[in-house]
Amino acid sequence: MLIGFMNSLRLLPRRILAFVIRDFRLYVSYRMQFFLRILSVLTVVTILFFMSKIFSGFTDPRFSQWQDPLPSWLTGLAVLSYFMTGFQSLANSIRQEQMQGTLESVLLTPINLPGVIVASSAWDFLETTFFSSLYLFFGWLLFNVHYRGSFLIALIFLLLTTLVLGCLGILSASFAIVFKRGDPFGIFLGVGSALFSGVFFPTQLLREHAGAKLGSISLLLPATYGLDGIRQVLIQGHGWSEVSQPLITLLIFLAVLLPFSLWVFGKAVKKAKREGSLIQY
Amino acid sequence: MSAVVTPNLSPAHQERDSGVAIRVSELSKTFPVPFARVRALFRRTSKKPVEALSNVSLSIKSGEVFGLIGRNGAGKTTLTKIIATLIQPTTGSVEVLGCDSVRQDESVRRLIGLATAEERSFYWRLNAIQNLMFFARLHGMSGREAKRRINQLFELLELNEVAQRRFGELSTGNKQRLAVARALLPNPPVLLLDEPTRSLDPLAAERMRELIQSLSRKQAVSILFTSHNLAEVETLCARVAVISRGRIRGVDSPANLRMLTQNTERVRITLRNLSLAELKTALSNKVSDFQVEETKERIGVLFTRQPEDDSLDATLKALHKMNAIVLDIETQRATLLDLLTQYETEDE
Repeated sequence: MLIGFMNSLRLLPRRILAFVIRDFRLYVSYRMQFFLRILSVLTVVTILFFMSKIFSGFTDPRFSQWQDPLPSWLTGLAVLSYFMTGFQSLANSIRQEQMQGTLESVLLTPINLPGVIVASSAWDFLETTFFSSLYLFFGWLLFNVHYRGSFLIALIFLLLTTLVLGCLGILSASFAIVFKRGDPFGIFLGVGSALFSGVFFPTQLLREHAGAKLGSISLLLPATYGLDGIRQVLIQGHGWSEVSQPLITLLIFLAVLLPFSLWVFGKAVKKAKREGSLIQY
Repeated sequence: MSAVVTPNLSPAHQERDSGVAIRVSELSKTFPVPFARVRALFRRTSKKPVEALSNVSLSIKSGEVFGLIGRNGAGKTTLTKIIATLIQPTTGSVEVLGCDSVRQDESVRRLIGLATAEERSFYWRLNAIQNLMFFARLHGMSGREAKRRINQLFELLELNEVAQRRFGELSTGNKQRLAVARALLPNPPVLLLDEPTRSLDPLAAERMRELIQSLSRKQAVSILFTSHNLAEVETLCARVAVISRGRIRGVDSPANLRMLTQNTERVRITLRNLSLAELKTALSNKVSDFQVEETKERIGVLFTRQPEDDSLDATLKALHKMNAIVLDIETQRATLLDLLTQYETEDE
């Protein structure tokens, strides 16, 4: 059993490469979408630049990360799209293979279902890394947005939060395997993260204007801590000691969610294989 | 078509393999109704669980082409999918070269190749080579290894001309051949072929049958072959299992299975240069019960015999003695179709 596991691990990079090449080829078979997406990122960054000028000099001094809203929005959008990929791509990869009818032929190869999920979401991460970086790149190149602090710490925050959201993604994938559609995690996290985790405005405003109960929703979302940590590092230039609180919170999320999500996933796969519904959609 | 590669059978598997490639033991599969307990809780009516297979046992020898025939919905696909580890059985077990299909599913998948007639199992916007390269990498092959194997298979299955074409642009026959090429990619010692000649033209179908025979004879690949073309099953398969409503009704050689439904054959001899009276005299002691049909200058003789008894030989000798000219001999035996029909009627 251990030999089998080690063998699967040894072949995982080759299998990830197989999925990345496949998805790249499928992506470039629709040539226009690549250029249109770059154009849409550029348009959004430009709009945000002009919107940020409305607030120039009017920002509440309490919100230290929001003195110039443009870098906050850009980091918010870049990081949110990355988090959402971490969360959505796992379930989407299964759902897409189910709908295309290719899941069965993939599962006939000596790759296990967790391997399929990890490998088939690799392209999504590469693609999102590129487009997320474009938000920051266009901000720096065209609108003089400068980032400070350690990029390494920011990267650790990014990876950690993506891992936590990946665990929720595994729960979502489990849901997709059993129920096929109507994933509640997707609805909650998709809408919830944009509204409650501080992508477009400080989370403190929620508590002030919507009440403590509604405001405390942001505390339940891992994206809140990830965004806060990354902004503290890139915008305020904070180091390890200042970002320890969001870092520890994310580690606790990971310690709880990782074993739980893997357990649920194992149950879902077993149920689908028993019912013969693994390839249905 | 000729194959020159040997299947990926590890020494461990060769040792474990004592002449049996696939062993199916007391296999049953009932598809449960999803969320039956929740439905019951809310007193919602739900469908009954579907029993797809019931107590199925069979074994396929190494290097054997084993046929599985039955009507649509008889359980052929469910059995194939359980062997291929895609579905778990309710009870019973399947072993492929000594590996259990549930506990050692990854090992089983290394040993089998499955070709189905399902067109949606490929990526339609990728070309034929790109599709196979993807699956070859999932099997753990390096780029160079995969290219070499794909070239070999394209040559073997005459796919070179369409190698650069998108899957969606291929003809149904070529799609089918590509599915067989994919099944052969890892050089598996066990092949599961689900109607591999269904969409092929007669010549391509014949070449596919030659390939199947060559894989079985030269490389000892064990093949589970399902088809609705019963003549093809008779030609290719050493043994055939008849499945009806999830139960195996018989496993034997096609000839022996035919005998199960009718153990006699009807013989018709067409001849000339003999009068009706002469004919009756010639046959009176040779064949107990015969009928005669007379048309212009020809006479048709019909009689029933046990297969391989000497009545045909004796009749021909007698006719020869009377200087009759034999123009044609036809025999009508029971077919596998008769057997399938008989089982279906019994089940109803």
